[in-house]
Amino acid sequence: MAYIEFKNVCKDYVMGEVTIHALMNTNLSIEKGELVVIVGPSGAGKTTALNILGGMDTVTRGKVVVDGKEISRLKNRDMIKYRREDIGFVFQFYNLVQNLTALENVELATQICKNSLNPIDVLNKVGLSERKNNFPSQLSGGEQQRVAIARAIAKNPKLLLCDEPTGALDYKTGKQILKLLQDTARKENMTVIIITHNAAIAPMADKIIKFKNGTAEDIIINENPKPIEEIEW
Amino acid sequence: MKKALLKDAFKEIRTSYKRFISILCMALLGVGFFAGLRASSPDMVKTIDKYYKDQNVYDIQIMSTLGLTDDDIKAIQGIENVDKVYGTYSEDVLINLDNKEYVSKIMTVEDVNKPVVVEGNLPENKNECLVEQSFLTRTNKNIGDEIVVEPNEENELLQETTLKIVGVAESPVYISRERGNTDLGAGTIDNFIYVDKENIDSDVYTEIYVTLKDSQKYETSSNKYEDYVEETKNKIEEIKDEREKARYDEVIGKAKDELEKAEKEFNEQKTDGEKKIKDAEEEIENAKKEIEDGEKEIESNEKSADRKFSSAETKIKNAKAEISKNEKKLESTIKTTEEQIQKSEEKRQELVVNLETVNSSLETVNSSYNNILEKLKDENLSDEEKAILNAQKEELEKQKTTLEKNQKDLKAGIKEIENQVNSADSKLKDAKKQIESAKSEIEKQEKQLASTKSSTYAQINSAKDKIEESKKELEDGEKELNEQKEEFNSKIDEAEQELIDAKQEVEDINDPEWYILDRNQNSGYASYIQDTESINNLSIVFPIVFFAIAALVSLTSMTRMVEEERQELGTLKALGYNKFHIMLKYLIYSSLATIIGGVIGIFIGIRLIPSVITKMYKMMYTTLPDPVIALNSDNSMLGLTIIYICIVGATIYAIVKELSNKPAILLRPKAPKIGKRVLLERITPIWRRLNFSQKVTIRNIFRYKKRFLMTIIGICGCTALILTGFGLKDSISAILPNQYEKVFKYDFQVTLKSSLDDNQKEEVITELTNNSGINKVVETYMVAGTAINEECEEDIQIVVPDNTEKLKEVINFYDVKTDEVMDLKTNEVIVSDKLAELLDIEEGDTIKLEGIDDTTKEVKVSNITENYISHYVYMSKDLYDSLYEEEYKPNVLLVKDNNLTKEQEEEISSKLLDGGKVSGVSLNETIMTTLDETLSSLNYVVVILIISAGLLAFVVLYNLSNVNISERIRELATIKVLGFYDKEVYNYISRETVLLTIIGIALGLVAGYFLNYYIIGTCEINMLRFAKVIHPLSYLYAILITVAFTLIVNAITYFALKKIDMISSLKSVE
Repeated sequence: MAYIEFKNVCKDYVMGEVTIHALMNTNLSIEKGELVVIVGPSGAGKTTALNILGGMDTVTRGKVVVDGKEISRLKNRDMIKYRREDIGFVFQFYNLVQNLTALENVELATQICKNSLNPIDVLNKVGLSERKNNFPSQLSGGEQQRVAIARAIAKNPKLLLCDEPTGALDYKTGKQILKLLQDTARKENMTVIIITHNAAIAPMADKIIKFKNGTAEDIIINENPKPIEEIEW
Repeated sequence: MKKALLKDAFKEIRTSYKRFISILCMALLGVGFFAGLRASSPDMVKTIDKYYKDQNVYDIQIMSTLGLTDDDIKAIQGIENVDKVYGTYSEDVLINLDNKEYVSKIMTVEDVNKPVVVEGNLPENKNECLVEQSFLTRTNKNIGDEIVVEPNEENELLQETTLKIVGVAESPVYISRERGNTDLGAGTIDNFIYVDKENIDSDVYTEIYVTLKDSQKYETSSNKYEDYVEETKNKIEEIKDEREKARYDEVIGKAKDELEKAEKEFNEQKTDGEKKIKDAEEEIENAKKEIEDGEKEIESNEKSADRKFSSAETKIKNAKAEISKNEKKLESTIKTTEEQIQKSEEKRQELVVNLETVNSSLETVNSSYNNILEKLKDENLSDEEKAILNAQKEELEKQKTTLEKNQKDLKAGIKEIENQVNSADSKLKDAKKQIESAKSEIEKQEKQLASTKSSTYAQINSAKDKIEESKKELEDGEKELNEQKEEFNSKIDEAEQELIDAKQEVEDINDPEWYILDRNQNSGYASYIQDTESINNLSIVFPIVFFAIAALVSLTSMTRMVEEERQELGTLKALGYNKFHIMLKYLIYSSLATIIGGVIGIFIGIRLIPSVITKMYKMMYTTLPDPVIALNSDNSMLGLTIIYICIVGATIYAIVKELSNKPAILLRPKAPKIGKRVLLERITPIWRRLNFSQKVTIRNIFRYKKRFLMTIIGICGCTALILTGFGLKDSISAILPNQYEKVFKYDFQVTLKSSLDDNQKEEVITELTNNSGINKVVETYMVAGTAINEECEEDIQIVVPDNTEKLKEVINFYDVKTDEVMDLKTNEVIVSDKLAELLDIEEGDTIKLEGIDDTTKEVKVSNITENYISHYVYMSKDLYDSLYEEEYKPNVLLVKDNNLTKEQEEEISSKLLDGGKVSGVSLNETIMTTLDETLSSLNYVVVILIISAGLLAFVVLYNLSNVNISERIRELATIKVLGFYDKEVYNYISRETVLLTIIGIALGLVAGYFLNYYIIGTCEINMLRFAKVIHPLSYLYAILITVAFTLIVNAITYFALKKIDMISSLKSVE
């Protein structure tokens, strides 16, 4: 059994009289330590899948298993525990707490985790040792995203889930962020899943999952992932 | 009108219904509370106004010390404004039922002050009456039962004293439980009884009630009404002197006439009686004299009889002795006589013999003479012969004469002897006869004497008996006379005393005094009106706090709303809508929320709050009818307008502020509030000690300053209001213990009858001090007076102790400033603090006192003493003596007992009253119970305050919590994503809330402390000093209640946080 397994996962949103089928019988599997890129057009269901995987949303039908744990059946508290211990999330808009410095934003995450990493080390690792006492508003977008990544990986999670991490960044910064993510996956042997609408970055992944119409239409295993520096778009 | 905008506005309401409702609630609470509380006082006034108009209650009441007459009525009737004048009767009586005494006030059913018949019907006959419900409850009587009014010594008002209860009534002149004071029984009237007018037996009215022409037009206690009544009172005042004088003359005239008649009669009867007694005495005296005379006479008679009889007896004895002597004499006489007779016989015999010899010699001579003569005859004889013959003849003749003479002598001798014998004989015979007759005479006399004697003595004895009888009779008579005399004297004395009393009474008839009163002197009405004023005062302050908080919170809410939708604002602005159109949506939104909330608030508030308050006051004013709830549009509209301006104004302000930005800026997401270091971080030693979450909390608190302030103000206001509520309750409930336990240490007050002299007063004191339960008795002179300054005058009690030191044992003088016990100085007075405050007097100032002697005196104030109920001025006896002419005379005893129970005190009280020297006894215990009832009803107002304050706090906190969540939803979603447990998320927020709550509570306690004193100052009644005290428990309650509301809101927050949808919250662009 794979590290992460989606089995016939369905997700319906009921909006009044209309039911939207966000996910329909999605099946996929991801191995531990893989860098996965999920691509697909808007509304294809990739964010829904990531949210479900990240413990932020529930499935309507089907089964999601992560490291042998069937997260689709977790109760609320266990779900939070799962998020807390196993998941690191990186958002398109960083979602840093404005009132906390870079270091504090990282500490916000580490103080609730058992096996957390040293926040300062993590910040050093993402190259922000100089700016750790700055507030988000004093940081550039890329720096903010680094803080967000630092916050996510400082928890020492099993999965690092990134939803359009470069969506709000310029090309160069975006590339740096992707590099950071790729390095993290490689060096920390962390399972990293990146959602992007930019199919061009797919070659950096070990596995590429293409979403369309609410289901993982195509799963491509990339035997030779390219380092991000080599990818241009 | 742009349809789309309108549609958007309504859609907005649907989507953000929570905010809409919370603004609506703010408006509802603010306006409802304002309108309701503001309407309470007018509604209370309206309630009594309607009641008084319905029952035709008097506008002016006139009482006179000497009663009132039809002439008075006529005079008053003639005064301008006067509509109707009613002369009525009333009297305080005792009713004994089951060995219990009830002091009742008898009143007549009139067209004025009409009683409300609750059950049964009005009295139709002389012997029927109406009573009040409490009387039936207390006496276990029912309609149909009979009660007997104890006869009153002085004047009998009722013809029929056995009265049948035909119904239960309420009286508009007695709306509270107070029934007034009397000199009967325990001094207070327990209940009233209405009787039929027919049952009254009196020629003067007890009081006159006047209704005024225009009083129906004005609301009672309104300025117009008061002015109108005052104006008329002044007019009545003008005829007062004249009427008083007329009544005085009438009464005095009548009394004097009666007195004169009585005096005349008295004198007549006195002289008559005295004369009769004198006559009787004279008669007795005469009788005595007569008896004495009789006795004397009898005595003398007896004596004389004795003498007479003894002399008679002696005489008889003597006579008898004489007789026997005479007899003896006679016998010897007889013997001698017989011897003499014999001798005489012998002599006679001798003489006879002599005679015969003489005779024979004579014959021989004669014959010789004849021979011579014959011889001489011869002529021839010679002359010598002749001469011899002649010489012979001569010889013979001589011889013859001698013989003849002898013969004659003899014969006479014989005769004499014969005579002698005869006479002796007859003499003897006579003597014998005489003796015989004397004897028989004596016998006769003796017999007569004996009979006379016996009859005389019988007579004397019977006379003596008679005298004895008379004497006895006389004695009886005398006794009777004495008795009658005594009786007469005592009667006369009595009559005289009566007369003197009557004279004194007439003398004591003072100039009558008219008391012209209005409704404000009716204690129930007056305290009710005063209560409406307190409520009115309360209704000014509290709604302001409410408004302020509601407005601030709405402002926050609306500002947040505008901020949330700034992009929409920007879009609309970019599309070219003008400011007004853009604003319209928010105006509609906030106006709708405000107006709907406000109108609902008005309808709930003006119905609920006045009726709740009135109902609470009904506990005190039991007979008030159902509250009149008027749609008090003025206050309602005022409240609505204020809240509208606050909320909509806040909305406009927020929009205008946002719209001042260029559309481009508006379209961009608003830069989130920049994180900043707070001041505290620079104080490293402290900052270092804080753990991560504490740091976060502190930084967050300072980040949202506005909300931070709002929350603190909200909680502070809530705590302050609650604390004020409890503090008010504390203050009110501390009044009684403070006055009657802290200040007044005595337990009851005995009012002496004014007629008592010193001895009688001493008797009362001795009676009290002899009772082992009594600790101290202090004599004082208490008199009502007025303290005045330029602006106002206050009714006061002037207390002059007999002994200053002793007074300190029953009354504590605590200096208001230092709280130290002070002394009453000889030449200065101590003034109670509320009076000092009202008259603006400080230590060392002077105070003007009116009252005693009808004078106004200025005295120096040495100290201001703690006091809570009514106003007192304490003055030393020396000062009194130096100020006033009227002699100092203690009239009130302040008595402290050894912790007797109320029952024991009541026993002493009734014993004192039975003694007749005491006109009233008032137990502090009783006063406390009655006042306690009165004051405790204020507690309900406090409860309303607390509940409202709590509600407000709740809405405020809830609203702020909503704003908080909405403003920080991303942050919250983020930490949720990070894996914060629900509780941790909650703590993340609630740590701030808790901190703010603590700050808010702390500030609220301080604010509440001041607000409480402010409120106390505002709604304090002139006669009362609210104790400036807040119990520690009240602080605790205020804290706990605030905390409870905070907890409720936090619980709601908890669930709101739990429901935050991470996905949607994070999806939106910031």
